Amino acid sequence: MTNETPIFEAKNIVKEYSGHRALDNVSIKVPKQSIFGLLGPNGAGKTSLIRIINQITAPDSGEILIDGKPLQRGHVSQIGYLPEERGLYKKMKIGEQAVYLAQLKGMPKKQAKQELMLWFKKFEIDTWWNKTVDELSKGMAQKIQFITTVVHRPQLLILDEPFSGFDPINTNLVKSEILKLRDEGATIILSTHNMGSVEEICDNIALINNSKKILDGKVNDVKQQFSEEKYIIEFKGTGVAFANAIWGGWEMVNNEQLGENHASATIKLTGGTKLNDFLKGIINAVEIQSVNKVIPSMNEIFIRAVENESTSKEEVTNENTNQDG
Amino acid sequence: MGKIGLIIKREYTTRVKKKSFLLMTILGPILMVGFLVGAIWLGQQEEKDLKILVLDDTYVLSNTLLQSEKYHLTSSQDEGIENIDAGKTFLKESEQYDIFLYLPGNIVSGNASVGKLFYKDAPSSNVQRHLENIVDGSIERLRLKELNISNEDYARLKNKVQLHTIDVISNEEKNVGMRAGVGFIFGLMIYLFIFMYGIQVMKGVIEEKSNRIVEVIVSSVKPFELMMGKIIGIMFVGLTQFIIWVMLSLALTTTLSLTVFPDLMNPENVAQTTQVEQVAVGVTVEPVNSEAKEVGKEFQDLIFNQIPWGLMIGLFIFYFIGGYLLYGSLMAAVGAAVDSETDTQQFILPITAPLIFGYIVAAMAIDNPNSVAVEWCSQIPFTSPIVMLVRVSMGTEGLSWAIVLSMSLLIATFIGTTWVAGRVYRTGILMYGKKASYKEMFRWLRHK
Repeated sequence: MTNETPIFEAKNIVKEYSGHRALDNVSIKVPKQSIFGLLGPNGAGKTSLIRIINQITAPDSGEILIDGKPLQRGHVSQIGYLPEERGLYKKMKIGEQAVYLAQLKGMPKKQAKQELMLWFKKFEIDTWWNKTVDELSKGMAQKIQFITTVVHRPQLLILDEPFSGFDPINTNLVKSEILKLRDEGATIILSTHNMGSVEEICDNIALINNSKKILDGKVNDVKQQFSEEKYIIEFKGTGVAFANAIWGGWEMVNNEQLGENHASATIKLTGGTKLNDFLKGIINAVEIQSVNKVIPSMNEIFIRAVENESTSKEEVTNENTNQDG
Repeated sequence: MGKIGLIIKREYTTRVKKKSFLLMTILGPILMVGFLVGAIWLGQQEEKDLKILVLDDTYVLSNTLLQSEKYHLTSSQDEGIENIDAGKTFLKESEQYDIFLYLPGNIVSGNASVGKLFYKDAPSSNVQRHLENIVDGSIERLRLKELNISNEDYARLKNKVQLHTIDVISNEEKNVGMRAGVGFIFGLMIYLFIFMYGIQVMKGVIEEKSNRIVEVIVSSVKPFELMMGKIIGIMFVGLTQFIIWVMLSLALTTTLSLTVFPDLMNPENVAQTTQVEQVAVGVTVEPVNSEAKEVGKEFQDLIFNQIPWGLMIGLFIFYFIGGYLLYGSLMAAVGAAVDSETDTQQFILPITAPLIFGYIVAAMAIDNPNSVAVEWCSQIPFTSPIVMLVRVSMGTEGLSWAIVLSMSLLIATFIGTTWVAGRVYRTGILMYGKKASYKEMFRWLRHK
């Protein structure tokens, strides 16, 4: 896996807009046939990066490689892009404009029509071919936008908030289509604030904050990296007995009485205490039933990483002002 | 077909298929021809007879005022009216009289004397002119008598010279004014088309920007291709509409003049409407018909022999396309810089100002085709599409270099404006939710 050329690579991308640095030396690698979560708060620079990949704008410096080769105009037909700000021609029949958009991606008209018909059937909107967007609900329009993004079978799919505007049923439909596309060979870059779906379908992530990449890696590695020495221990016995069994080296995060003589406690080990030593300490006070490590959710990781960033930044600025003073 | 071809095709077909396009294309010529026919028809309608009360303080004029079929003059003495106030009151109460004409005593003394015309329903300028002519004629006859000149001698004194203008190089006889008029009509059409279709370009850009499809499209094609595709597609819509208009108008006028109004389009009849003005001095009422025939012949000569149609139509298409590309690209930039149509005002004004200025200069050129303003404006690319055709319509001798220069300037300028527009467009279309300032737009020009 590591030896394989990534399907997509961004190297030290810098982009400035009239004095404001939108991307500061950002590098990411997306392995082939994976789903890559591009995360970050609003205004972090995700859209700037996505627009550079789509050759809507050019970077000030840095390089984009597709399958090892520098990005060029011909790659357009291999990329599918679903922007966050998306729309359709209101007065044009949806079948016609889907064909038009597919043709712009380089598909021959006839083939575009055939493939689109299949997709329209799959999404159960084949009877809408001759309707205009004015007559559609928002969810319907979203379906058509999704179809026009994938119909030309792009190698690389860039989806910016693909689930917004969908009800849970259609969200699932789109999710399973995304997974299917990956299994068929496509690589997907997914930009979203929906951390639940990141956890569910992403293989790798990168987190961008304030124009810089602050975190990246496999979803599991990132989670391990962010997990603390936090455990949920379920036991028979009283909370008081548990709490008094051992002094120092840990703190109680949460405890819950589950029944008579049956409780669970969430604890955090501090000062380098080993789990083994902690368990030794309590094993005589209560009867341990289960011990589980607490794995942070992507949501938590996102918030913690972004907050860490901003506090460390504040420290830096504080130091600076101190020096000045 | 390249991607830009796809865009041109979409822009063209969606517009041509619209009901409003069909309606405009068919109704346009019908309305135009209808107005023309209506105007001629109305002009030929008999004006109603007028009964005019004349109070003559000179006591010598009223006897010599000429009566005519439509103008019935009655001396105020017949109604027992002695002064101007009585006359005014009488007119107000009278149902018979339409006009009260007051000729003060001094009207015969000077060369620029003033009388008064009181009315209930405002008379047309024709009526006013006709009555002035009648009074003038009376005063002239009065003076002839004083000077002891016979009417015959006077008729011999009166002369009317016409100067026929002949180009010394081509030895052609031309009617410069009328030819400039034909050129002006061409210029006017270019002006209208640039306006109509320029606005369509702007609206099209705003539509794509506001419904957010633009980001999907620019991920497939370059923003510049999208902009040019739109401009060129709409240009073809304009040309299509123009060609249909010309053909329909020609067909309509030909059928109408052959069937419904066989004599309406006849130059003799057209000339008759001007006959009223020709009455002038009543002493020698010349048969006007020969003159009308003369005008008709001149008109035919103008249409068939003097206007260089091939060149005019060729240049029309060139200047239409050139002017449209120049203004259309600027309009596209405006569309990209704003967020909704209500924000466009500030940017449209500086664009339409030179266009309107060009129109005014072209109108001026009819009277004074060789003025400095016309010469300059037929070179400046922002006005040349409208003004140059007026110059060309008056003859091309010695103009070749000016035409070539004007065309080259226009080409260079529209390449320039297209470049500028492309830069503004490419950044502007992705700026949602705010209107750009001139300063920002200038900065966009330098973006990578």
